[in-house]
Amino acid sequence: MRLTLALMIFGGGIAQSSLAPVLQVGPVTPDIPLILTAFLGLRKGPEVGCLSGFATGLIQDVASGTFVGAQALTKALAGFGVGLLRGWFSVENPVVQVAGLVLLTLAEGILRFALLQLFHFPAEFAEMMLYVILPQALYNGFIGSAVTLALDWARARRSL
Amino acid sequence: MPYRKYVLLVSVLVVSLLLLTLQIPGQAAWGPGEFVSWFTIPAQVLVTKAHRSALGLWSTYRSWQELRAENRALHTEAERLRVESLQAAEIREENSRLRRLLALKERLPLETLSGEVIGKEWGGWVRSLTVNRGRNDGVGRLTAVIVPGGLVGRVVTVRANAAVIQLLNDPASSVGAVVQRTRAQGLVEGAPGGGVRFKFLARASAGVQVGDLIVTSGVGGLFPRGLPVGRVSAVEDRVSGLFGYAGLAPVVDFSRVEEVLLLVSQSAADLGAHFASR
Repeated sequence: MRLTLALMIFGGGIAQSSLAPVLQVGPVTPDIPLILTAFLGLRKGPEVGCLSGFATGLIQDVASGTFVGAQALTKALAGFGVGLLRGWFSVENPVVQVAGLVLLTLAEGILRFALLQLFHFPAEFAEMMLYVILPQALYNGFIGSAVTLALDWARARRSL
Repeated sequence: MPYRKYVLLVSVLVVSLLLLTLQIPGQAAWGPGEFVSWFTIPAQVLVTKAHRSALGLWSTYRSWQELRAENRALHTEAERLRVESLQAAEIREENSRLRRLLALKERLPLETLSGEVIGKEWGGWVRSLTVNRGRNDGVGRLTAVIVPGGLVGRVVTVRANAAVIQLLNDPASSVGAVVQRTRAQGLVEGAPGGGVRFKFLARASAGVQVGDLIVTSGVGGLFPRGLPVGRVSAVEDRVSGLFGYAGLAPVVDFSRVEEVLLLVSQSAADLGAHFASR
């Protein structure tokens, strides 16, 4: 079980730099590690969400060659937050999952932007929001809904 | 432990911040940044390798899919073009045949009727063609049938809208003919093997030579004079026999006849001048 989890996390981290370019629509790519983190956080709780966010974020940081630790921190927080919130909502509801993923992406983006400001990140917040964070949040929501539907379909088939 | 998750969160945050702090620019060459790199670079190499492998596999798979789709499309296209090419060649061939037939029809000084072959009988007993012209078109029995190359045969059965033509190489076929060069008389007969031979009076071979053109004699009024029948391919010189025989290569390839002209009127003129194979 732990091995599966570790492989999922490692795979999710790798997928961002391998699969995401294939899924690119215009300039927008989905944040696969964040989707995975949300998925694990919702199902396994804040600890797994936090750890998977940290690990996938760290892999992303290392792969992207930017500030190592930035995404590890924001995604760890995101995973933890989602894990905490899972008791408050009906997380089985696809609408909650998709909307939650959009909001989570927005929150993580804003947090990452704020963190990078400490390192004099040069971009404007409005531009980042308009061209990067918001489109990615919507795309993540779309991917999340597709994944949710696929999982529901697979579960329904298994129960037949 | 109820606070375990918060301890974990704080630990993770501390580690992350520590990592970030160690990378602040302007540090010494062997400062914390280098220290972090010492750990991260191998991981980065590993990740890049894994990434490249995954991407490579994915790209290969995509390329393979694209190639397969392209291959399939090209196969379909090639097949379509091959069929079109065959159709075009067929139409070109038909066009050429019809042009030659039309030219002959216009040249000949007698009334003709064009017909299309709708059936073939190619067994050893009978060799015949059926055309889509019959009694209703004015076709009568024993009507001579030709193509631009020369004589094909004669009508032996007439139906309302079709006629059966006995080919020159039918074993029962016999046509009065002459050697065009020497005017030596004889008969062109069909042979059971599918060939055609020229039977003539064997007085010192009657001067028949290989390559001589044999044409209809017009004797009996059945066929007009001068219609090419075949070229002598071999002379069987039987001195002791009453008749001599010469093997003929027919001027018409009967197996490939698809359109014909039926001579529905008669002419006393020698038609030899109107055939290209003369």
